Amino acid sequence: MKESAIKKIGIGASTPRKEDYRLLTGQGQFSDDFYLEGQVYAIMVRSPHPHAKIVSINTLLAKNLPGVLAVLIGQDMMDDGLKNIPHTPFGLGTADISIENKDGTPIRISPHYSIALERVRYVGEVVAVVVANSVEIAKDGAELVEVEYDILQSVTNTREAAEPNAPLLWDQFDSNVCLDAVLGDSIKAAQIFDHAEYVVKFDTVVQRVTAVPMEPRSTLAKYDPNTSKYIVYTCSSGAVRVKNDLAIVLGVPPDYVRVVIGDVGGHFGARGMLDAECVIVTWAARKTGRPVKWTSDRSEGFLSDYQGRDLTVSVELAIDNVGNFLAMRGKNISNLGAYTVSFQPLQKGVEIMTSLYQIPIVDFHVQAVISNTPPTRPYRSAGRPEVMYVMERLIDLAAFDYGFDRVDLRRRNLIPPEKLPFKNPFGMIYDNGRYQEAMDLALRLSDWDNFEKRRQEAVTRGKCLGIGVSNYIDTGTGAPRERAEIKVQADGNVDVIIGTVSTGQGHETSFAQLLTEWLNVPIDNVRILTGDTAFVKVGGGTHSGRGMRMASIVIWNCVQEIIDKGRKITSLIINCNLEDVIFEDGRFIYKETEQSISLFELAAAFELRKDWPNDLKEGLFSISDITNNTPAFSYGSHVCEVEIDPDLGTLIISGYTAVDDVGLAINPMIVDGQTHGGIVQGVGQALMEQCFYDSVTGQLLSGSLMDYAIPRADSFPFFSTAISEVASTSHPIGVRPGGEGGTTPALGVVINAITHALSGYGVRHVEMPATPERIVKAIYRK
Amino acid sequence: MYKLSLIVNGKNVSLEVEGRTLLVQVLRNHMRLTGTHVGCDTSQCGACTVHLEGVAVKSCSVLALSCNGMAITTIEGISLKGELHPLQEAFRENHGLQCGFCTPGMVMSSLDMIRRIGTDLDEKTIREQLEGNICRCTGYHNIVKAIQAGSNTLASQKSLDD
Amino acid sequence: MYKFDFFKPDDLHEAERIVATNAEYKFLAGGMSLVPSLKMRLSKVAGLVDLGDIDSLKGIRLEDNNLIIGAMTSHETVASSELVKTAIPALSWLAGGIGDPMVRNRGTIGGSIANADPAADYPAGVLGLKASVITNKREIDADDFFVGLYQTALYSEEIITAIRFPIPECAGYVKLRNPASRFAVIAIMVAKTFDGVRVALTGAGSHVYRISEAEAILTKNFSPTALNSFYISSEELNSDIHASAEYRAHCFKSIASRAILISLSETGNQKLS
Repeated sequence: MKESAIKKIGIGASTPRKEDYRLLTGQGQFSDDFYLEGQVYAIMVRSPHPHAKIVSINTLLAKNLPGVLAVLIGQDMMDDGLKNIPHTPFGLGTADISIENKDGTPIRISPHYSIALERVRYVGEVVAVVVANSVEIAKDGAELVEVEYDILQSVTNTREAAEPNAPLLWDQFDSNVCLDAVLGDSIKAAQIFDHAEYVVKFDTVVQRVTAVPMEPRSTLAKYDPNTSKYIVYTCSSGAVRVKNDLAIVLGVPPDYVRVVIGDVGGHFGARGMLDAECVIVTWAARKTGRPVKWTSDRSEGFLSDYQGRDLTVSVELAIDNVGNFLAMRGKNISNLGAYTVSFQPLQKGVEIMTSLYQIPIVDFHVQAVISNTPPTRPYRSAGRPEVMYVMERLIDLAAFDYGFDRVDLRRRNLIPPEKLPFKNPFGMIYDNGRYQEAMDLALRLSDWDNFEKRRQEAVTRGKCLGIGVSNYIDTGTGAPRERAEIKVQADGNVDVIIGTVSTGQGHETSFAQLLTEWLNVPIDNVRILTGDTAFVKVGGGTHSGRGMRMASIVIWNCVQEIIDKGRKITSLIINCNLEDVIFEDGRFIYKETEQSISLFELAAAFELRKDWPNDLKEGLFSISDITNNTPAFSYGSHVCEVEIDPDLGTLIISGYTAVDDVGLAINPMIVDGQTHGGIVQGVGQALMEQCFYDSVTGQLLSGSLMDYAIPRADSFPFFSTAISEVASTSHPIGVRPGGEGGTTPALGVVINAITHALSGYGVRHVEMPATPERIVKAIYRK
Repeated sequence: MYKLSLIVNGKNVSLEVEGRTLLVQVLRNHMRLTGTHVGCDTSQCGACTVHLEGVAVKSCSVLALSCNGMAITTIEGISLKGELHPLQEAFRENHGLQCGFCTPGMVMSSLDMIRRIGTDLDEKTIREQLEGNICRCTGYHNIVKAIQAGSNTLASQKSLDD
Repeated sequence: MYKFDFFKPDDLHEAERIVATNAEYKFLAGGMSLVPSLKMRLSKVAGLVDLGDIDSLKGIRLEDNNLIIGAMTSHETVASSELVKTAIPALSWLAGGIGDPMVRNRGTIGGSIANADPAADYPAGVLGLKASVITNKREIDADDFFVGLYQTALYSEEIITAIRFPIPECAGYVKLRNPASRFAVIAIMVAKTFDGVRVALTGAGSHVYRISEAEAILTKNFSPTALNSFYISSEELNSDIHASAEYRAHCFKSIASRAILISLSETGNQKLS
């Protein structure tokens, strides 16, 4: 392949993906595709009650069913010494703000049982597992497990769960409020609010949703009694974390657990950590002496996948007479579910509550509360869509309440480039960016200025047209440590071992493009090896847009070292001065004579001798293991146009424009794809998605795709996307976190467009999901 | 147990199944053709789509015995001699897949769309015809583009053949 | 699923004979409702008699002024049939909106109305067009067929063989879809039949039913604005997490008037979001 052609598919090329060949022809290897000889099947017995004491569990009938190998309960797990599932409630790393209880007491952290012990705390919690020769026999066995419950009062609603007289989930806690903190300066804020010309108030609930990756969860585990070691095939976004956490739960050294992740059918946060069923299956493999497989039904997934969002907000914005934002204060309550798995959505949200606007004073009360619902954890842009929605709604509400122009208000208050780096009132330091430019581009691309013409045309068809804009800043960051091992093989391939896992982001191609750019190796000769802890020793997994961001650093580091070593090896082979050897277009060149050798020829030549000095003994090989606690920010601006039928409340999205700054787009086609998918997940929450727990019975009413609405192709137009590339000053080659920017402003921009469409009816706000019924109710104020 | 005979991707297959065995279970478990996926339990997501006697059906909702004696084409039977079908190539060129889980179903469903309606597919028609295929990754944008591109290629190939 | 016996007879007599041997044997048409329900272990059968090989149950024909559709005719066949598009375009449109393309390839009219899902489309078509259900035993008038939640007038061993649709003067069908299931939140078939004006509402109650007050108004004046002052009570309407009874009642007028508009037009097609 010509060298210049190779360069063309390096950084910045929208090259089609390598992995598509196998995925398009049915050769992908997803978790349920793994098969081990002699495997048996697990079915979980789940609680039908949101909150109850387990009085007794009778497993005799189930155990005696022919074909059933084992029926295990929580006590069996305790007796075997298994530990609780470890949490990292505030994530790893120090890039986010620190939050502590205002009364100085420790933050309440609950135990996280894989199988419920003395109590069930949400509908769907596992109370027993049946292992049998077939799925059907296991299901028959599950029906024979008799559980006696003593029903307790339950609470699913966030505000109610925080009340002092709410039913308590844990005996060791005197309240369901696990975190209760204040941030900012309440006295200064009070002074400002008392004298402000304008105060905008907003109360809202960002509803609980669930990720619904198309691949249901599945784990297949095997235990070898001879070595006492486990091998676990599972779908997760990070093999190392699952391995380490499983080892802790099982009480074995980490090297006794091997985790293998193949292709992953979507993640979005739901697969970011060890789940109960993975523990149960792995342990059951040891108990039964057989490989055990469990694959979730979709309905089971709605009951038991880690869920997302669920933030209740009450907020005010103080504005002066010309429209400058002066202060912001409020209360955010995060609903953790039954276990204190993650405070990150709360933390990562509140720390950028003021978004990319200049708001000098804040006063926030934040709480994290447990309730009789499944645990929540980060979901596509953890915490940020919630708070970006709040900020952008506040601005549009200020315009609605007091007559400001929506765009002027934003322009006036956006942080200008010369003020960056900028420390927001929570202590987060934004790196750099051109926020106003992004908004101006979005307004131009969406033909904002000609909206009125389109609105009048819609009126002639009996429809209401609305347009909204929303800006965002996104604290991606994620786990701080990442590691790559790169070896240039004599067979003409470059092997890259790295601790991320592609869950749809196309790393096999985009990471390979880095090697194309920096080492001039065609992408077909780059093998990205991930997901198997047999060779991946360290890694942070994929989430928060950290994949390319971290990979580009460690791969760059390795490449530098390999080039260095290559020059040294070349100088030794040719017997010349090191300074006279350069690396250019994939070749090591001795300047004096213009002798050159290609990267792979050098790798082959290296194998012919064994007498290399110590520092070169491994050949063209390098390891880069970094810990990077620098916070990372992407930003952008979206515009959405909606057309509403005022009779029925139904709507169509007539236009959606996205401008997203990713710093440097390695593969723009992949970046755009992430934006499209992110937009649809955000729109889904804005219009139709909700984990609907009945406030009286605690039952899940959206327990299947028949009731949990997921957007289909007919809900959208083509999106208009523009990638902005203002190199991030907090990254060596300018990369910002990518992949979540599609979702981050989507909630706000859709609701802004809807309320704009309905402003003629005097509608101030519509809560999410903005269903046709809610829109009709807003119009008729019923 | 009942005897079942199928022709899967052109190959004769005989096995014994229960009355309750689903077509998707025969494909995935008995035959280890794991390209057909199970994504839901309410027959909505379309990840399990295969062709039964040339017609797209959801294999998760069809009993295996209902197909006795019939020809089935799965995603594994679409590419010929290791070459991607023009529609598959169009998916690749247009980044019409990300995680790839819904993809086999998308391809099988699009082929049926073309069979029923022809290659002259506008955006609105494609989006409506994809009602039975759910994707959580792509936002559908590039899938629609891929189907438009793929059907155009097939149309021009056909006019070359004619 | 629970275990069950399986049969696939070649003709109707064989099917009748098999089903007579066990009271817990059921018929299997396209399976698009029955199989998912069995998979969830929501129902149990001792055996299934697959009607897929019985050719006499398939096909569409015109007989006098009636469209006769075989019970095992797929939704896709009905939707794409030139005969149906010409004779009763609203029926073609109704069939083309059921489920999704793969469901339409497999699902059948007989299966749909035997199941009588309260939000299914065909029951509105059958009732709204004053069709009759032909079985191996008798012919049942539409007004007598749908009796309760998932309940019809069929005896357990009775097999639907065809549905007879008298060709109406005009008809229109409009469906407001549940965003998750894509079943009807409410859907209305309005028709001017030989038996007078009919308004059949599905998705709103335990089974499809007619709105006689609306029919009376439209009999006097069959126009899209005739129902402008008509209100339907929300009292007997369904409420769920997607749509309250009040919302359904609110939408009735709008949907009905659109159905009337369509029935008066030539094409018989309209899509709602």
